[in-house]
Amino acid sequence: MTTAPQPVAATPLPRPSSRANRFRRRQGWVVGVAVLLGALVFWRYSQIPAFGPFEVRGIVAGTMTLALLAMAQSVIVISGGIDLSVGAMMVLANCIAARLMLDQDLGPVVLVALGVVAVAMLLSGLIGLVTVVSGVPDIVVTLAASFILAGLALVVLDGPGGGTHPRFQELMVGGFDQPLPSLLWLTGLLALVWVPFKRSRLGIATYAVGSDRAAAFLSGVRVGRTRVVAYVLGGFFSGMAGVVTTAFTGSGEPRASIGATATLTSVAAVVLGGVALMGGSGTLLGPVLAAFCLSLIPPLMLGLGWDPNYAEVARGIIIIVVVMIGGLVQVPRRSR
Amino acid sequence: MPAPLLQTTAVAKAFGPVVALRGVDLSVAPGEVHALLGANGAGKSTLVKILTGVLRNDSGTVAVNGRPVDLHSPTEARAQGLAPVYQDPALIPDLTVEQNLRLTGVDPAAVRRELAGMDLDGLDLGEQARDIPLPFLRMLDLARALAFDPQLLLLDEITAALPPDLSERVFAITTGWKQRNRSVLFISHRLAEVREHCDMCTVLRDGRDVASFHPGQEGGEGQIVAAMLGEASAAVRDVARERRAARERAEDERPRLVVRDLLIDRQDAGVSFEVQAGEVLGMAALEGQGQDRLFEILSGNVRAAGGEILVDGQPLKARHPYDAIRRGVVLVPSNRLMALLPQRPIRENIAIPLFNRLRRWGPINIGRERRQVSEAVTRLSIDTRAAAQARRLSGGNQQKLTIGRWLAAGFRTLLLFDPTRGIDVGTKHQIYDLVRELADGGAAIVLFTSELREIALVCDRVAVLHNGAIVAEMPPTAGETDLLTAAHGLEVTAV
Amino acid sequence: MSAVTAEPAARDWRQALVERPAIALTGVLLVLYLVTATQAPGMLTLNGIRSTLLLACPLAVLAASQTLCMLTGGIDLSTVMTANFAAYVAANQSGRGPVVALGLALAVGLAVGTVNGIGVGVFKVNPLIMTLGMASVLLGVVTVGLVGDGFLSGSTRLLPVLRTVASGTLVGPIPTNMVVWALLAAGLIFGLSRTGLGRAVYAVGDNPVACRLAGVRIWQVLFAVYLLSAVLAALGGLLFSGISGSVGPDQTNAYLLPSVAAAVIGGTSILGGVGGYTGTILGALILTVLNRLLLALDTTEAFRQILYGLIVLALAWVYVRVTGQRGS
Repeated sequence: MTTAPQPVAATPLPRPSSRANRFRRRQGWVVGVAVLLGALVFWRYSQIPAFGPFEVRGIVAGTMTLALLAMAQSVIVISGGIDLSVGAMMVLANCIAARLMLDQDLGPVVLVALGVVAVAMLLSGLIGLVTVVSGVPDIVVTLAASFILAGLALVVLDGPGGGTHPRFQELMVGGFDQPLPSLLWLTGLLALVWVPFKRSRLGIATYAVGSDRAAAFLSGVRVGRTRVVAYVLGGFFSGMAGVVTTAFTGSGEPRASIGATATLTSVAAVVLGGVALMGGSGTLLGPVLAAFCLSLIPPLMLGLGWDPNYAEVARGIIIIVVVMIGGLVQVPRRSR
Repeated sequence: MPAPLLQTTAVAKAFGPVVALRGVDLSVAPGEVHALLGANGAGKSTLVKILTGVLRNDSGTVAVNGRPVDLHSPTEARAQGLAPVYQDPALIPDLTVEQNLRLTGVDPAAVRRELAGMDLDGLDLGEQARDIPLPFLRMLDLARALAFDPQLLLLDEITAALPPDLSERVFAITTGWKQRNRSVLFISHRLAEVREHCDMCTVLRDGRDVASFHPGQEGGEGQIVAAMLGEASAAVRDVARERRAARERAEDERPRLVVRDLLIDRQDAGVSFEVQAGEVLGMAALEGQGQDRLFEILSGNVRAAGGEILVDGQPLKARHPYDAIRRGVVLVPSNRLMALLPQRPIRENIAIPLFNRLRRWGPINIGRERRQVSEAVTRLSIDTRAAAQARRLSGGNQQKLTIGRWLAAGFRTLLLFDPTRGIDVGTKHQIYDLVRELADGGAAIVLFTSELREIALVCDRVAVLHNGAIVAEMPPTAGETDLLTAAHGLEVTAV
Repeated sequence: MSAVTAEPAARDWRQALVERPAIALTGVLLVLYLVTATQAPGMLTLNGIRSTLLLACPLAVLAASQTLCMLTGGIDLSTVMTANFAAYVAANQSGRGPVVALGLALAVGLAVGTVNGIGVGVFKVNPLIMTLGMASVLLGVVTVGLVGDGFLSGSTRLLPVLRTVASGTLVGPIPTNMVVWALLAAGLIFGLSRTGLGRAVYAVGDNPVACRLAGVRIWQVLFAVYLLSAVLAALGGLLFSGISGSVGPDQTNAYLLPSVAAAVIGGTSILGGVGGYTGTILGALILTVLNRLLLALDTTEAFRQILYGLIVLALAWVYVRVTGQRGS
């Protein structure tokens, strides 16, 4: 409009949203999952008369792998992508670790663990690089990568085998009644790796790229580099998942179907944890808590006397229902 | 003579077979507000993207203060003192404003200072960018650009859809900028603004610069239009006025569209108006007075909080645009991104409403479809050279496509929401002609426009919307001053 | 005023490829076929051609499901589970005659498709998640059914008609299942390019907002797509069981990722709005021949897998490079 000759009415400033509203919008979902987890844990507790460290360790150690994969997937989803090869990466890491750790002392075993995680980071970064440079959609690249990684795992171990050092197992996942190591690992990784990353400029750039890639580029973010870093970080977590699997099972298993199932479950945990598949929002805590919720379902059903085979059905139904409700409840995004 | 602040020499850029720039010479002196004008497809946005490091030019040089520079990234362009403010604010929606600033390495304190200078220090930087309305996002983007302390500000259509008071603050900035011997490259389709605030202007046409002069001089507007249109310019005829004078109106006809106490939002008073067949009702309003929502309600996309709509005397309760379309009420939105199928060819874009119900899911009569589509294409003179994918068309052609689809599908009431926003002058007038033609053909038309001068050209009546209610109805000959006064909710004193 | 474009006479060969990817794909297929024939001379015999077509058929049917879903910007990860379930039901109920057994198998597809369609269309759940959840549910249902005296236990006998159709030979190099495939292909290709629903499918994948403004009820289109996808998956499972001669709860699982790959290689964008079944057919053939090549190379399963993944990636990369259709 042309400027008016007389003084014009001022457009009112937008009112800032209240703190309660802000908290609800940004952390609401995670709080919901935490409450759900608490309810499920309480339920399990009430099912078992002698609920003690043994049960807790069983839950925590058994979920570590899924939680770590959920963390890997979350980082990549937040950056605006998806990685259908995280499970295969875990299997590969598992096999390499199991093969190299067999009959070794603790020192070399720890070195192998570090090396395996580094290799996973490298491979994952390579996958990210290919995705960025080629322009092929990430679903396709990571799909192909999952084939390749599964094949590599078979090269390393052509069947179940390998081993590890018992002390290493204790360090990673604790003895049968020691829940602490697993809890410490998960909390530690979240607090010492994820939180600093999220607050750093690189972390903000990762959210930016996932939220609006074009705007991120115009803001001067090195989009390609940020996406590759997200894959590297994802590789770190899936490498860890592989090492933890070796520690937990004491061996390596190159079956591809394990990887495929794990990948898909990681996506489920990510969505249930409040991380939007579109990218740009969410945090790793939600998916970790969601992973615990998902792992509690089979033992809960066992406790109820239900056929544990129904666990798979229940898991599927829960995923669908939660996402349906979540879609209706969440504030719709403003269309730009 | 001091070196120009910015000088481009023979800058050229092609995208495959499409040549966007053929060799542009542009010169911006220090302390100058320089307008960059041109029709859609003339190359303005490509040039801006090159100057801001988003694209690399194929050939030619860019020099800042006499020194040639290589602008290979947005960061590099900023380092050279060129800061852009885009039409779509480059703020990440999921991040807070503060996080956004950190991302670009800007000091939030500097931004707060600039905001204070614009009288906007009440803005909360802890809000997520998605929760801040668009006009304020633009001002934030401007403040951020200013905080970089650049030498040249590139403002790309910043005043499009900015309320007048914020526009004024923008121009206050540009004036202040001049006094500090810095410059502004101002891209706009609003010729009145350009004439009032700019020292120089350069007109692009077909990827080349064709004229450079002082826009405020006598006859400047005609000069600008002539330069933009080239030989085809001729006189910008007031076709609409001619047509309107010739038409007669049947008084006893039942109105095609009746809106009664329609509550746009939860407020007390609603909107009421009527439109006859063959009539063009213009609607004018300032930013954010409810016009967006009103059109969404009329087109069936959103439900009203109260009130009623009557189409041909029968009530319309629409839950989905389909319900409105079935009654012949169709919408042409201003945002082409909302209405286009970018990867589909022209044919499919035009034909899409023909398949919006189950009964039409069966085999298509290709011959009939082809006929309907080509009728629309011919009537609108859509350039079909890039027919394979709609996203390759220029802005003007894309807009014609969104109108063309309703020509093919048929309608009785046409809702046009700012149809000529961001469109070049030539296409604008084609659309004005078309609107009058359609009205003559018996359609009832409601036209919202943010450019008041259009109203006189096209409409039979104009309703002014303020705060979700119609506050005045005027003849189209009402001057812009009266319209603006009413738009502010003030009484128009009869002269 | 229009965008400045080059003379229409100078047609870019890339443009031609984008609009007609079938040309490039046929070229790739022929080259690959000849290369494979050098390692496995049997490929050039009538029998060789026949077995290639035979094996490609179930993949092509499953890939048809993915093509439909991907055109709307979605994906269907429950196809293999639906296929397994349907095949199992047909074999399990074969004692009740072919009509009943096949009918029940297709009913499985209809049921799964309905749930998927409602989830994705009405509740607007992300298709990745919806079909993922559905796959979990189906896996569980099949597992429960097989255990003890569940509803799927008991003798399974493959329907003779399936055996004939799926692994028989019509004439010369043409297997009988080509009839099914050809009918399907004709139906899909015609449906996508010449029917209102087909147009709506492309439009929904390209810009759902524009569709809504044009009056298209998107949930109807999505429902139809996911319903068709599941029915096709059931059909694919039946065909596969006919070829393999038996049923198993996870017999088609290995086809999931290749079915997506076939559609992608064939030019259907996973983001929606672009592609079609013609390309997918060629993609399925290419992948089948590729598999044969890898088998002929006489290496370990591990290397075969690695090479498969690398070649799929390379093909997708080449496709993007040539057509300039980037993922972002």
